[in-house]
Amino acid sequence: MDETWHTKRAVSGVRPGDHALLPYGDLEERDRVMGTYVDDALTGNEKVVYVTDAPADRLPGLRPRTRARLDRYTRSRQLVVLSRADACLDARGRFAPGRLLDTLGREVGSTDAEGFRATRWTTDFSWMLDGRPLDVAAMLGCEHRLGDTVGPSAVAMAICQIDRRVCPPAQYAALRDTHEVLVEVDPRFDDGNLKIVQTFRPAGLRLEGELDHARHHVFEDELARVARLPGAVHLDLARLAFLDLGSLHLMAGLAADRTADAPLVLDDLPPGVLNIIEMVGWHRLPGLVQGRTAGFPNGGTR
Amino acid sequence: MAAELEHRAFLYSGDDDFLRTAVPFLEEGVAAERAVVVVARAANVALLREAAAGLGSAVEFFESESFYRHPVRTLNQYQHLVVGQAPRRVYALAEPVWTGHEPRGLLEWMRYESLINAVFADSGATALCPYDRDRLPPQIVEQARRTHPDLLVDGVAAPSPHYEEPLRYGAGCDRQRTFDRPRLAEYLPFHTEDLRDVRAFVAERAALFDLDEMTAQNLVTAVNEVAANALQHGVPPMGVWMWESGPEVVCEIGDNGFWQPDALTGFLPPRSALQRGFGLWTVRLLVDLMEVRAGWDGTFVRLRMRR
Repeated sequence: MDETWHTKRAVSGVRPGDHALLPYGDLEERDRVMGTYVDDALTGNEKVVYVTDAPADRLPGLRPRTRARLDRYTRSRQLVVLSRADACLDARGRFAPGRLLDTLGREVGSTDAEGFRATRWTTDFSWMLDGRPLDVAAMLGCEHRLGDTVGPSAVAMAICQIDRRVCPPAQYAALRDTHEVLVEVDPRFDDGNLKIVQTFRPAGLRLEGELDHARHHVFEDELARVARLPGAVHLDLARLAFLDLGSLHLMAGLAADRTADAPLVLDDLPPGVLNIIEMVGWHRLPGLVQGRTAGFPNGGTR
Repeated sequence: MAAELEHRAFLYSGDDDFLRTAVPFLEEGVAAERAVVVVARAANVALLREAAAGLGSAVEFFESESFYRHPVRTLNQYQHLVVGQAPRRVYALAEPVWTGHEPRGLLEWMRYESLINAVFADSGATALCPYDRDRLPPQIVEQARRTHPDLLVDGVAAPSPHYEEPLRYGAGCDRQRTFDRPRLAEYLPFHTEDLRDVRAFVAERAALFDLDEMTAQNLVTAVNEVAANALQHGVPPMGVWMWESGPEVVCEIGDNGFWQPDALTGFLPPRSALQRGFGLWTVRLLVDLMEVRAGWDGTFVRLRMRR
């Protein structure tokens, strides 16, 4: 999937004015992002407006809290859980964009008066794709207007969640274009030189920056963690600027402990690294296979 | 079960002499159902294609001019061939290119002939290496007697009385090296595991010295590996020098430790990246030449890259 985004942001970096999309690949990914989004608000004197039919204590990803504490958040309106019926459906249960925008406008408008620094809004639109015909124009129109509300605001930010597994590609592409920001999980590691981000679909890690001896320990730990997953584990290397030979040794060591049907797949290998691997020979890296190659999303398997 | 290598230098005079031995050699290989390959200079490939046409596709031909470009890579190619053909044993007529080298390159190809004995010791392969006595400088034919355990001269096969084991031969090659470093070489010390500055230093100068991007990246990766080794095993102060020398860009990584590599260090292809020695072997693969000098004043690894 070659996606071009104006901005890709870790969830901790979401800020007022962001109208972001979270295209999650599985529930763990969604829960990890939303957990951070909600937690950061609750610990940072910001209001959360969550449009969902789940009860407050069952919000996706919400980290364990006592009932009393949750009640305090909802009573003080720091955590506002609105049902879909109340927030964005008309009397006949149909999606009503105007209603959603009114709700958002009202909640954002009261931020200051309620004593909060900002308002974080979120909902999962996947239910709209749940087998019923989707009024794409209405939804996209709504997203545009949502962006118009949030974009210039100094206090509002929004994450629209969508389950990539149920969203047809054309609709996803259209939806994507209505958001300025793509939100993802916080990196597992980021020291300014190397960033390691967990990926969920496919499962694995994305490496950005330079991976050398000084960062082997953290890479080894993270690799070992994802290697516990069943099936193939993917490493997205498109943004890797340098990979040392020791890292190839580490990868091969880890792959050696896995079964043949669960290889370590190297996606989007930078040409310089691919050149080295081909020179060394793939046969010296048992358990590592070449995956997706840049520009050929589905090709390039050897 | 591991079988011994048969590595024989065939000193010949003229085309007829060449064919008188080479053709029956190939016929024997085919009859024994070996994986028969000819890697010879284009002229000899042409001669053999005609003279051994009856063997048809049972013999695979390669031209030396494209096969013998980098000793460590050529060893790797041969190993690939040997492993790929197993359990069939390789039966090769193998003729390196001895022209067009500067002295340092020539020395490495002589060492290459010696390394064959170590790398393929247990492969069961048979290699017959033709040396044209009439055209090659006597020095090269002389070295062939040292790098091949067996000789074939005027139809007579016999062990070479001058043969030297690869370790000893390689040590001799190493002794012939000089390690002058120009005063104008730029120097960057390094102290920590974080080698970003070293990589940037090498990459910037590689571009300045006109190395193409891929060659520069290979050099950066190689320098990084040697520097990481120095950090792990060496003694401060440590640093990297870089300069240009004629057609080459040279990088030298030094530390104050006393490493005692033997003459085979980094030359023997590892079975996998998990085997000890993978890093240094890869460095040898990535650069045009890696030279090691360990002395009273420290350990110095010099990497040369042609532009």
